[in-house]
Amino acid sequence: MENLLEFFRKNFKYFLFVVLELVCIVLIYNNMSYPHFKLAKASQVITGPVYTFRHAVVRHFYYAKENEDLAEQNISLLRENSNNFFEESDTVISVFDTTSSKKKRIYDYTFAHVIHNSTYKKYNYIIIDKGQKDGITPDMAVLSSRGVVGAVSNVSENFASVIPLLHADSRLSARLPSINQIGTIVWEEGDPLHSYLVDIPQHLAVNIGDSVLTSGYSNVFPKDILIGTVSEIDNSQTSFLKIQVELATSFNNLNTVYVVKNLYKDELDTLKASFKNE
Amino acid sequence: MNKVVIENLLRFVVLLLLQFFVCNYVHLFGLFNPNIYILALLLLPFEMSSSLQYLIAFATGGVVDLFLMTYGVHAAASLLLVFARPYVLMALTAGTVKQENLEVPMPGQKTWQWLAVYTFIMAFMHQFAVSLLEVFSFSRFYMTLFVAIGDTIFTTLLIVALLYIFSPVKKK
Repeated sequence: MENLLEFFRKNFKYFLFVVLELVCIVLIYNNMSYPHFKLAKASQVITGPVYTFRHAVVRHFYYAKENEDLAEQNISLLRENSNNFFEESDTVISVFDTTSSKKKRIYDYTFAHVIHNSTYKKYNYIIIDKGQKDGITPDMAVLSSRGVVGAVSNVSENFASVIPLLHADSRLSARLPSINQIGTIVWEEGDPLHSYLVDIPQHLAVNIGDSVLTSGYSNVFPKDILIGTVSEIDNSQTSFLKIQVELATSFNNLNTVYVVKNLYKDELDTLKASFKNE
Repeated sequence: MNKVVIENLLRFVVLLLLQFFVCNYVHLFGLFNPNIYILALLLLPFEMSSSLQYLIAFATGGVVDLFLMTYGVHAAASLLLVFARPYVLMALTAGTVKQENLEVPMPGQKTWQWLAVYTFIMAFMHQFAVSLLEVFSFSRFYMTLFVAIGDTIFTTLLIVALLYIFSPVKKK
């Protein structure tokens, strides 16, 4: 007995090695067992916070990619809006074809990133990172995820400049859906948060908080895109109201914008030009 | 003595954090994944009793297993590594050093070629055990071997580099 204990003490490290290895083998072999499942659950108490911490740091590296994916998704959602289509429901449809109401797409979208932006000048402008190569042409509408930004003015091969609403010469046809009146959006220097809606007659009741939408008459902007909300009404000056509009787009932190293409622009432009010639 | 304990403890913490936060996410050529935490095991002082070394190896491998959800694999391989360490060292010195007088090889005592060969042997033993235990079969044996060798080369490069960067080399 003494000898056995002595032998055991002398070779303790070998026994320990074998026992620990056996524990490992048993753990590996019982891969699908209930204790294994419990072990996995318990170990998450330790590993969970470590993984959470790592994620909190690492996720910042993937924002650019994620932003791009979200912009893609937004475009596919924007394309589905009914204001992009021209319904041909009142044309002659054969009896056999009544189920399919024909829709014609007028507006299509692409996205771009703002690489230069100013808001505190009299003639502000924005530069986006897409140009001729990506199918951008002058007079395309530019939207943000919140509302109207402006219209493309000049296009080079890889870039395009945009005249935002914050430009002393910008004019945009707008509609007040609450009273169904058409007016014009103009901007006065110095305030990047507000524009003015003019040409609404005095006698109409406009409420603070009414939304102001695009009219859709310009063939540049699709119908019913949010421009802003009425924030102040001034009826002291002329026979027209001067309505201050709080802009929906925050121009101070623009990043991704959506450029709207009118697929029938050439056709409409020639039609308009023929009117001028007469 | 106290200084040695703190030094080793710090080495374990830093290398394990490096393993969890960086190395577990590195996949060179989509395949090879370094296991640099074995450096902490390779640098355990020989004055420590063998049993304690085994327990530390088991615990270290176990913690790595917790994060990779491969319960037992790294623990078994780490244990094997620490168990084999004195025998490999004695074999490399051709039996001229007795087991009681073994020292942890460091830059300055040995050439970098010697260190690289030693690290390669140790890392390969560990890595091969990990690969085999993970698969737990000998099917696709050559693929397992190939991945193990790639991992080992990667691990060896990192460990030798770390040894030279962080060890105080005495200039003659």
